[in-house]
Amino acid sequence: MGLEFLARVRRTTLWTGAVAALTVATYGAPLLALAFLLGAVWSLANLRLIELLVVALTGPERGGSRALRRCAVALGGMIALFAAGALLLSRLSPVWLMAGFSWPFGVIVLKAASSLVLETAFWKRLVASRWRAAAAVAVLVAGAWWAATAWSGAGTPGAGGAPHATHLLASAQSPAAPETQAGEAARHGEEEQGPQKFPNVIGLLARAFPDAPWARFLHQFEVVIYSMFIAILLCVVAFIASRRPQMIPGPLQNVVETLVEGLHDFVVGILGPRHGPRYVPFLGTLFIYILAMNLFGLIPFMDSPTSSLNVTVSLALVVFLFSQYIGFRELGFVGYFDHMMGSPRTFIGWILVPLMLPIHLMGELAKPISLSCRLFGNIFGEDMLLVAFATLGVTTLSFAHLPFGLPLQLPFMFLALLTSTLQALVFTVLSTIYFLLMLPHDEHAHEGEAQHAH
Amino acid sequence: MDFHAALGLGLPIGIGIAAIGSGIGLGGIGNGAMQAIGRQPEATAKIQLNMIIIAALAEALTIYAFVTMFLLQARIG
Repeated sequence: MGLEFLARVRRTTLWTGAVAALTVATYGAPLLALAFLLGAVWSLANLRLIELLVVALTGPERGGSRALRRCAVALGGMIALFAAGALLLSRLSPVWLMAGFSWPFGVIVLKAASSLVLETAFWKRLVASRWRAAAAVAVLVAGAWWAATAWSGAGTPGAGGAPHATHLLASAQSPAAPETQAGEAARHGEEEQGPQKFPNVIGLLARAFPDAPWARFLHQFEVVIYSMFIAILLCVVAFIASRRPQMIPGPLQNVVETLVEGLHDFVVGILGPRHGPRYVPFLGTLFIYILAMNLFGLIPFMDSPTSSLNVTVSLALVVFLFSQYIGFRELGFVGYFDHMMGSPRTFIGWILVPLMLPIHLMGELAKPISLSCRLFGNIFGEDMLLVAFATLGVTTLSFAHLPFGLPLQLPFMFLALLTSTLQALVFTVLSTIYFLLMLPHDEHAHEGEAQHAH
Repeated sequence: MDFHAALGLGLPIGIGIAAIGSGIGLGGIGNGAMQAIGRQPEATAKIQLNMIIIAALAEALTIYAFVTMFLLQARIG
């Protein structure tokens, strides 16, 4: 019971502490949130070391060499921990550090109290009927609402009626926003033109340290950093999944194998068994990468890199250059221009060359433009839709002065899941077809003509 | 009518017209694909793939209008 209870306390502390720190970071100062989080983590590490020490001293194998070693580790860790604590106290706000430090104890007390309440006959009678339990939950929610309203009404005594959530969203979203933050808004107005998205980690960091050069650098290369991070993440997952391939695959290997096999069949089905397998790695990677980038924006405090035109244009340019390279390699120099002239074989074909050559060249140039604009427009539009509905949800509740709003954007997140997958698929399919058009099409001749027509 | 007012009136109307056009196109595509699936249920996967590609091409026109709107939106006010 005891150790398992401690583990549960650790888990609860971690997530409630993270939520509390995020709240502080958004409504207060990020440095205070950092102090709070570090305090909570410090306290957790301290508890863990004490637990280790107690287990080593009183456990079943006390007196053994392993227990002695564990004692030494725990004591050394404590010394290091206290040194770190002194350093933190000198650097960060001590009040918030102490608040974070006492957070796990609060969790322990509340958990113990709740376990006492859960045992009572009154509680058991309450939850025996489903309706009574629902009524109890409703009463609790209403009470919390009332308390939060009273508290936040008291916390902002007539501060121009600027409530928390609306205030935050407004200052995060429209650069020309409220009078109270005119200075900050003006500074943001220079660097962030156009419509605003959800705040993300790097944006928050840049807002917390507006004068630090590294924060400006991060903010400038935000998109690059996110896309590199996703690429590294995918590499790590692929590496772990394929490190020890087994005949009877584990869950991760199973998923990855299904995905790779599906993509292989898909590409080979379009390009044909002769050319297909060579292009599976490129096209499959494209699909997985774009899918991951699209979905990344749905994680809170993250941003999808594909909602920036720079990323989609570079992806489309890679596809464009690769397809030109395929054309030159597979058709040869003469064959490439023959293909561009519409493969004239008859007299009428040769007459039509002055017409066909510009059409084909413009078609080639239009491909990357349409690829990039489609992906960008869809993902960006999806993000904008979510922001618009989140703002609407906050505005609906703004009369209550609450630090949150109605989750009106939730149904559109499912739509976003759909469009993210669909756009990744469309990008991959169209790239595959562009490759197909460049390959010497013996059996695909008619399909190729049909595709050129659009 | 000055430039800003014209832009403010024209952008929503323009995106609406683009949406009407690609809506008609998507309807036609869906109609054709559903009929084809109904006639040949065994070719569903192939038909669906082509349907998605063509639907993406039709949808892209609205997206272009949308992107244009966002590019010009900053100039309204």
